[in-house]
Amino acid sequence: MHKRITRLTTVGLAAAAVGILLAGCTPSSGGATTEDGKSKVVFWQQKFEDYQQDWFKAQVAEFNDSQDEVEVELVVVPADTWDQKLKAAQAAGKAPDVKTTSYGNIKPMQANGQIADLTGLMDDGAFDDIAENIAPFVTIEGGVYGYPLLVEPSTVLFYRADLLAAAGIDAPPTTWDELLDDARALTKDGVYGMNIAQTAPDLGWSSWGLQYTAAGDLPLRGDWSEASAVDPAYEDLAKFYQTLYSEKLMPQEATYPYADCSFFGEGKVAMSACGSWALGQISANPDWAGVWENTAVAAFPSIDGDPTQPTSTLGGWTLTVDAKSKVQDGSAEFVQWLLADDTDRLVDFFTATGFSKYPARVSVTEALAATPEAAENAFLATITEDIVPYAKAEPSYPWDVSIAFATSLEKAMRGGDIPAAMNEAQAAIEDVIKKQKLAGTGGD
Amino acid sequence: MTMSPQSTNRLATAASIALEPEDEDSAPKPRRNVSGRLSTHVMDNRTAYVMIAPMVVLLGIFVWWPLLYSFYLSTFEISFYEDPVFVGLQFYGYVLEDPDFWHSIGIGALYVLYTVPVIMIVAFLVASFIRTCGIKLAGLLKTTVYVPTVVSAVITSVVFVFMYRADGGLVNWLIGFVGLGPFAYLSDPNIALPAISVPGIWLAFGITTLIMLAGMYDIPQSYYEAAQLEGANFVQRTWFITIPLMKNVLLYLLVTATIAGMQQFELPLIMTQGGPTNSTMTPNLFIFNQFKDPTPYATSFSLTAALLLFFVLGGVSMLIFRLIRSDKAIDA
Repeated sequence: MHKRITRLTTVGLAAAAVGILLAGCTPSSGGATTEDGKSKVVFWQQKFEDYQQDWFKAQVAEFNDSQDEVEVELVVVPADTWDQKLKAAQAAGKAPDVKTTSYGNIKPMQANGQIADLTGLMDDGAFDDIAENIAPFVTIEGGVYGYPLLVEPSTVLFYRADLLAAAGIDAPPTTWDELLDDARALTKDGVYGMNIAQTAPDLGWSSWGLQYTAAGDLPLRGDWSEASAVDPAYEDLAKFYQTLYSEKLMPQEATYPYADCSFFGEGKVAMSACGSWALGQISANPDWAGVWENTAVAAFPSIDGDPTQPTSTLGGWTLTVDAKSKVQDGSAEFVQWLLADDTDRLVDFFTATGFSKYPARVSVTEALAATPEAAENAFLATITEDIVPYAKAEPSYPWDVSIAFATSLEKAMRGGDIPAAMNEAQAAIEDVIKKQKLAGTGGD
Repeated sequence: MTMSPQSTNRLATAASIALEPEDEDSAPKPRRNVSGRLSTHVMDNRTAYVMIAPMVVLLGIFVWWPLLYSFYLSTFEISFYEDPVFVGLQFYGYVLEDPDFWHSIGIGALYVLYTVPVIMIVAFLVASFIRTCGIKLAGLLKTTVYVPTVVSAVITSVVFVFMYRADGGLVNWLIGFVGLGPFAYLSDPNIALPAISVPGIWLAFGITTLIMLAGMYDIPQSYYEAAQLEGANFVQRTWFITIPLMKNVLLYLLVTATIAGMQQFELPLIMTQGGPTNSTMTPNLFIFNQFKDPTPYATSFSLTAALLLFFVLGGVSMLIFRLIRSDKAIDA
């Protein structure tokens, strides 16, 4: 009897230990409150330039001090593991209440029920102020699923005015042929004439604008029923990249990713395709002052010189509220306070960006234009007048489509047979359409 | 700790031995006798059962249950926000007919081919050398070869990226003295995989050397003395004594190195992101990338691909065990 009791005790203790162990592993559900009774809102911010982290940190601190009901906890997450970390958090029931979301992800996330409609959570007036050309990026069937912070063209031509002048080139190129000729003339003395994306993950999104100018549309278009990667116009696009790479008019290895304009900043290239955000990057680096003095920007050339053709997509960031968040009201209150209320708060942000990013709200755009810094900025007019009006929205189809096309572009770039590469892309995109049941779901 | 297929294999063997009937040729006994024998067996071995119980419980919670649950989940298109849709084995079909999945398995196999033989041979030679050294020198050498093992793969990757740079990298500087280069190692689809294999070898050979050395120290010195008296030279002693007596150690290292090679992830992630043109897209990196899209399809596809990779790795391990029969070392 004594032995039995001991054994039972042992079993009981073991069961208790396992229970404690499992309890420790169980994720705590959202909607927690802080020690002083405030609702806790977890906010994931994707890591961008340092000044953005500083701005978000300062704003969160100010918001937390400004009221007694909501406490926002800011978590900065690196961009390269963002998607995987977010999905792991969603699987564990620990998704952030508020997060930065790119325009391209709004539609797929909404389709999967991941993000909350903000129209019932924020003041109506907040939505009226969103610029007319940007509202469709976040609006689906009358619901608004993300509040936009900024837009930024993903493809702008940066060039060194001094090197172009020295080579006898009096204006930036306006066609792809001119760009190739200029790059040939500028490639000398250890400086490459041009820099552009060269790896599939970078080409996947940075070539969207060039796909538009080459073929008038993307390789998955219309209602997404069929792939169009074998459109002969894309062979010109592949040839353009191939010429730049094979003639060694651009760096031969991707030391820096496309989003990082360091090749240009370090003076290793005379021209570079990069997003508008590179203005902030180059101007902020004291070591690149010599390059910055001679930096100029222009719309990226279209294939035939038509300046009204899109050569860039309009990327950018919004804040979204998680559909499963238990503190949706508090989350929306924070989003409204940060992005939809005080224009001065955002004017400060856009001034800090060095005018490398652009407001999504009409009132902020007007307030920003009225500042003396904006009047002095040499690049603002080029980007807001020559690029943004013609830029296209990012596609909302799955990334698998973009990466399939970009992998074929990369193969062609590194000397592969162009029609064969495009056939591969065609087959891969058709496979995505079939398996992910995309036919008939497009239409943007 | 990771659960290698090898340890599961050992468990399976242990389980099959435990389940074997004790008297196969004896006639069926009345039920009471059987249950009586069973309870006697349990009572006789209760200490053993108590001892293994925690491990069985932990394996059940952290290995078997998650694995079974994963198979169950793989029959759904999983959404973390909406009700999952039952799709049966559809995703197994999707993965198996995906050329990119098989391409990544091929890349993993090629990486194994580039790294494992070199690791095994270099580690064997270094271990053989250390064995002949005096205690102090051997201690110093053992510490030295172990250093790469404690260096993070992430740091190694970053250092090698700098070393491989076409503009001013150490490797191009060195080969410049013989009039070669510069080469963009990580941008050429033909040499990117061999280039990332070098840090792979560097990271793995230290621990392999130490395990081989432990195996070598286990071989009685008298064998070598006897062989030397018979006039056997170093090659003969290695071929007829060291290698046969280290068969199990070598087999263990071969299997673990092969599986680790197939699962290589950090080096291509940081050095090449799987490129150029997917030439370094190892299976785990492929699965990781599939996990990117915010769609239920992406989640289910990566889960199913991971489960299928589990079978591929299990198959590879079984193949190695089958090809190199694992025997008990004689006397050693």
